[in-house]
Amino acid sequence: MLKSFSLDRWTPVFFLAPAFILLLVFRYVPIVLGFEEALYTNSLSQAGARKFVGLANFLAVYEDPVVWGSFKTTLIFSLVVNPLQVGLALLLAELVNARVPGIAVFRAIYLVPIAISAPVTAIAWGLALDPNYGLINGIFRSIGLPRQPFLQSPDQALWSIIGIISWIGVPYWSLFFLAGLQGISSDVLESARVDGASSLRIFVSIKLPLLRRIIAFVLVTDTVVNFTLFAPVYLLTRGGPQLSTHLVMYEAYRRGLVYGDIGIASAIVSVLLIVVIVFVAIEFIILRPQH
Amino acid sequence: MTWDAATSARLRKAGRAIILYALLIGLAIVVILPISWILASSFTTRETVWKNALPFSWRAFFPEEFTLDGYRAIFEKDFGAALLNTFFLGAVTVILGIAVGAMSGFAFARLKFRWKNFLFALVVFSFMIPGDLTIIPSFVLVRDLGWLNTWQGLIVPGLANGIVIFLFRQFFAEIPQDLIDAPRVDGATWLQVFIRIILPVSKPALISAGVILFLGQWNNFFWPLLVAPVPELRVVQVAVSIIGIEQNVNLWEQMFASSTLAMLVPVLLILPFQRYYVGGILGSGLKG
Repeated sequence: MLKSFSLDRWTPVFFLAPAFILLLVFRYVPIVLGFEEALYTNSLSQAGARKFVGLANFLAVYEDPVVWGSFKTTLIFSLVVNPLQVGLALLLAELVNARVPGIAVFRAIYLVPIAISAPVTAIAWGLALDPNYGLINGIFRSIGLPRQPFLQSPDQALWSIIGIISWIGVPYWSLFFLAGLQGISSDVLESARVDGASSLRIFVSIKLPLLRRIIAFVLVTDTVVNFTLFAPVYLLTRGGPQLSTHLVMYEAYRRGLVYGDIGIASAIVSVLLIVVIVFVAIEFIILRPQH
Repeated sequence: MTWDAATSARLRKAGRAIILYALLIGLAIVVILPISWILASSFTTRETVWKNALPFSWRAFFPEEFTLDGYRAIFEKDFGAALLNTFFLGAVTVILGIAVGAMSGFAFARLKFRWKNFLFALVVFSFMIPGDLTIIPSFVLVRDLGWLNTWQGLIVPGLANGIVIFLFRQFFAEIPQDLIDAPRVDGATWLQVFIRIILPVSKPALISAGVILFLGQWNNFFWPLLVAPVPELRVVQVAVSIIGIEQNVNLWEQMFASSTLAMLVPVLLILPFQRYYVGGILGSGLKG
């Protein structure tokens, strides 16, 4: 009986072909192309100047203090922004997991930043953080805090950008944790409560261990996504002041598409890509279904 | 004694509720404050736009002198065309992206073929690598195809969306086998089953995918900035950024007005479809 359902061997091809042709051409070919371009000098402005240079571009990445500095800045940025977002997202999820009247309204409100794009968020917060006119300094003044330079200070600019992107990032990642928290059986929590465990104790000793896989997934994905942060830097600081927000993606853009040096830009991105592929491989291992 | 214990328990519960609501309201203010300030300022004249921000007054959340100057100015500058362009891009991307994603999601959920796991791993891997990471070689590729400053350059590269494929696979896998067996016994082709049986019962997945694809296109910035710099193909995020940064004078009221419109559309879209949108986001990560 089942045999009569046996597939025409072209049916899967028909259903899969559009997606796979597009994925191969526009997702996988660029990955290979990126590594390949990194081995050539290639200028956008001088057609025909393409020349094989081996690993020279990678050496240049290592030796150029601005490029190498952008990797260091990105590393510091990553070490701060990702644990911060994951931690705050966990707390937010725990908060909105409370079954209290009106919680659905708060959940809907916290969803709003997720829908707003990074460029618009950056521009809106850039206006609010304006040192001379901005709303935030206005509020600071009315509660007696001194005026802050925010994006115009080399000490505060990176922190300001971290704050701005977390306005989207924290509620976004909290969705995953909320789903995880809602999946924890209420029996487990109830019996802990009957045994007299405090809410804090339940969160640390029961909920966090059960959310381990989700936390790992979010931490890796958030890290990978934040490696490619571009719009707020491009729109608000252009890497400054004093290169304090000069992140890798912005440097790749500047080298490749402003100065037209596709070879160096590709080498920069290739280094990042290798790091990301390692991260994603780790993610695959973490999330492999456990039997 | 028991009365005391009950009272203190009740007090503790009330105290906890007060702290909880204080936190919830505080965070809601962090979300609403910048949005409502942008909204109010977008209806204010350039001269008064900063008046209540520093020194701060609650009047910052209401227009000082109500005017549509900001909106009038951006529409004179073709912001309307950018909105239309983005709606058009969004609509085409939703239709074609759903077709491409649903077809392959169906194959992964319901058909048997060789290398299925390997091919599916390729799908998953494709959305774990952020698209922006390969944006420079993608730009080179699209340039070599002669697609710079074309609609297809903006649409085609984003049509096969790994998250959407994943989402459809998850959803189609749950559909009862009987629904598929009956028409197959009657001699229907897989394409007929897909169009007549599967798609009509898949409204939640179609909405989730549609919202994800539309928002992806609406909020897209880096890619259109690179591949379609001509004004005729300008999209809303790029238009906002041009008003925001590439002017010599600070056109505050226009920055507020264009940001408001760029925010409004996704917020209005996401609120009625909350459940589907959240479901779509979560589908990409957890059930793998």
